Amino acid sequence: MSLHPTTLTTNDLQSSDTSLERYSRQMKFPGIGEPGQRKLLASRVTLCGCGALGTVLANLLVRAGVGFLRIVDRDFIELHNLQRQVLFDEQDVAENLPKAIAAARILRRVNSSVHIEPVVTDIDHTNILDLIADADLILDGTDNFEVRYLINDAAIKTGKPWVYGGCIGSHGQVMVILPGETPCLRCVIESAPPPGMAPTCETAGVLAPAVHIVASFQAAEALKILTGHLEAVNRELIYIDVWDNILRQFKVSRLKDKVDCPCCKHRQFDWLEGKMGSHTTALCGRNAVQVAHRSATRLDFAELAQRLRGLGEVTYNQFLLKFQVDGYEFTVFPDGRAIIKGTSDVERARTLYAKYIGH
Amino acid sequence: MPIAVQIPSPLRQHTQGRDLVHGQGRTVGEVLHDVIRQFPELGQRLFDNGQVRRFVNIYLNDEDIRYLNNLDTPVQEGDQISIIPAVAGGKT
Repeated sequence: MSLHPTTLTTNDLQSSDTSLERYSRQMKFPGIGEPGQRKLLASRVTLCGCGALGTVLANLLVRAGVGFLRIVDRDFIELHNLQRQVLFDEQDVAENLPKAIAAARILRRVNSSVHIEPVVTDIDHTNILDLIADADLILDGTDNFEVRYLINDAAIKTGKPWVYGGCIGSHGQVMVILPGETPCLRCVIESAPPPGMAPTCETAGVLAPAVHIVASFQAAEALKILTGHLEAVNRELIYIDVWDNILRQFKVSRLKDKVDCPCCKHRQFDWLEGKMGSHTTALCGRNAVQVAHRSATRLDFAELAQRLRGLGEVTYNQFLLKFQVDGYEFTVFPDGRAIIKGTSDVERARTLYAKYIGH
Repeated sequence: MPIAVQIPSPLRQHTQGRDLVHGQGRTVGEVLHDVIRQFPELGQRLFDNGQVRRFVNIYLNDEDIRYLNNLDTPVQEGDQISIIPAVAGGKT
């Protein structure tokens, strides 16, 4: 499953620098100290998604000295990523590199003592348990609720902590899920916005400072968890908006006992068992992929069309909505199902769907 | 007694761009319905068959109304209601 790029040219530092000296400033912080640093060095993390949040998370964790970081991402680097995705540059775009590979390449130069495993794949119910099996912590750098509920299922089932982060426009949220101790994602966000009902980064934009703040909060929580300081973990929902000057904490910890959660209370793992989520198949011979999103709510075409105008050509009637952008043609149906022409790549189609239609 | 309701940026297209609106009422539900009376397009964004949509969370001050008394939670002068929708983005 993993892809290991050619090892970079070694330098004097790479093979020998396993001392604690590089972490001296971090160890001076009383919450970490040498015992905390040694725990970090022995820790294993799976990062799901390596885009805006994910690059910041990977950067901070590798510099902090986690022992092992698995970076999982299905996407490749595009020019419009560079505004906020800190590990990538123009050369990566020119080389059409997958994000996980490019991230691993630069981070190995930053800290060669960290074992970094890039994995270029789409996370789904068939592979997630393998991807997290040896991890102490799961970090969310994804962009949609389908995979977040899947991560949540897998984390609750295996008892592994994970840190949710989401960011769009100028605002974002962070929440730590400690299975058995805090509410899970489904306790707090009971269902995902139906396709077309919520903005995406492509329709609403996203500010890099908001991304960095959200990911930095996530990374701070990761350091607490990995060094064993669960007493310091933030168990509420952090909400920030860098444009509206908001930094707030909403109390959610008591929801654990209040909500009759199908996941953490009744241990129904609908996403992990493949009962929920999109089912995507290439349409043979048509250079098209069908994304069959299972949504209980019908799409509001007027709303969707309004969001998509300005990005491409949109027309709709009561039966379907057509949208053309960058050489792709979307045909979207009221139940959320879409046929995307212009690609036969299932992963690409899922990315396009998440970008333009929603989650 | 007008109660302030904070509107998140994705919903401001339905409140003439305003980030803070006010509604009258004795409970969270009454205040929200008074706001919806002023800005009808908010209605279907916040409610589905009379219930708060499951991807939208309503907070009275800093408390999730689900562990207060939901929409029947009484409000007092100086309270603020916040509407916090789920945030999806992060990768692309």
